Amino acid sequence: MPALRVNPNRMELLKLRRRRQVAQRGHKLLKDKLDELMKEFLARIGESRKMRSSVERELFAAYGTFAIARAESGSASLAAALASGTPEDLLEVGERNVMSVRIPQFTLGELPAPGGYSLVTTPIVLDSALDGLASLAPRLIELAEREKAIELLAAEIERTRRRVNALEYVLIPQLDETIRDIGMKLDEAERSNLTRLMKVKEMIEAQQQ
Amino acid sequence: MCLEMREAKVAVVGDSSSVAGFRPLGFAVFALESPAEARGVWQQLAGGEYGVVFITEPAYAEIEDLVAEVADEALPAVTVIPGAGTQGGVGEKKLARAIEKALGTTVLIREEDE
Repeated sequence: MPALRVNPNRMELLKLRRRRQVAQRGHKLLKDKLDELMKEFLARIGESRKMRSSVERELFAAYGTFAIARAESGSASLAAALASGTPEDLLEVGERNVMSVRIPQFTLGELPAPGGYSLVTTPIVLDSALDGLASLAPRLIELAEREKAIELLAAEIERTRRRVNALEYVLIPQLDETIRDIGMKLDEAERSNLTRLMKVKEMIEAQQQ
Repeated sequence: MCLEMREAKVAVVGDSSSVAGFRPLGFAVFALESPAEARGVWQQLAGGEYGVVFITEPAYAEIEDLVAEVADEALPAVTVIPGAGTQGGVGEKKLARAIEKALGTTVLIREEDE
């Protein structure tokens, strides 16, 4: 690690020592943050994976029921039946702060009751298909929330780790090296000064005799 | 620690046979003729009106790069769902990538699962 280019004097030495102290304190803090983030992250992964696979399974089941409905009524009339319904503000979005990562929190409001289609022309499985989807909706939203949290945490972990490594492997060694260099240069100056003084003293004594 | 609460919509993007069922439930449905159309509606999806965007696998494959751009932001939360007649597993992969990013490996987690 090449040392920084600074003037080798006492002033710089003090400044660098202070900087190293700050860097070390920052490093420790960031490392603690990284550990805590990791803990949060690992706690979420397992659950989320399980949830995803079960949600996917249920979603496939729902698609299956829709396929049956489509087969019974024909895709045109099914499309007409499902054309009703307007997009609504279904979600309450809040925010939670986990180790300074802002994670969104979703609360699903009440779903509108499906309807608006003729009960005569649509097969009965359509009702159960829609029911199935409606009961799946809260879990879909929860899955979205969990996965978003994981993604955000992962990004923050990566960023934090970069910072920790930069401090640990670049900045702090660099400061240490520079401090050592300056220390040695100052020592050297001190020694040469001492020998000069001794020499001068010797010369003065020689003159006096 | 809730800072602010606000309302948002839920969007579902994908081919019409997968996503049509969500319309009566109040979801905003973007039915695509082909996955390539996803690129066109993305601007709308990322605009902030939608809190959660569910997207089927073929459509996600089409706009993966666009989704990655907003991965760092809190909203929208883009979640991949399997479409009717797709394999599944793409969402799993998206999650695995996040894990790999954070831990540098996915091996440990897999072992835990089994």
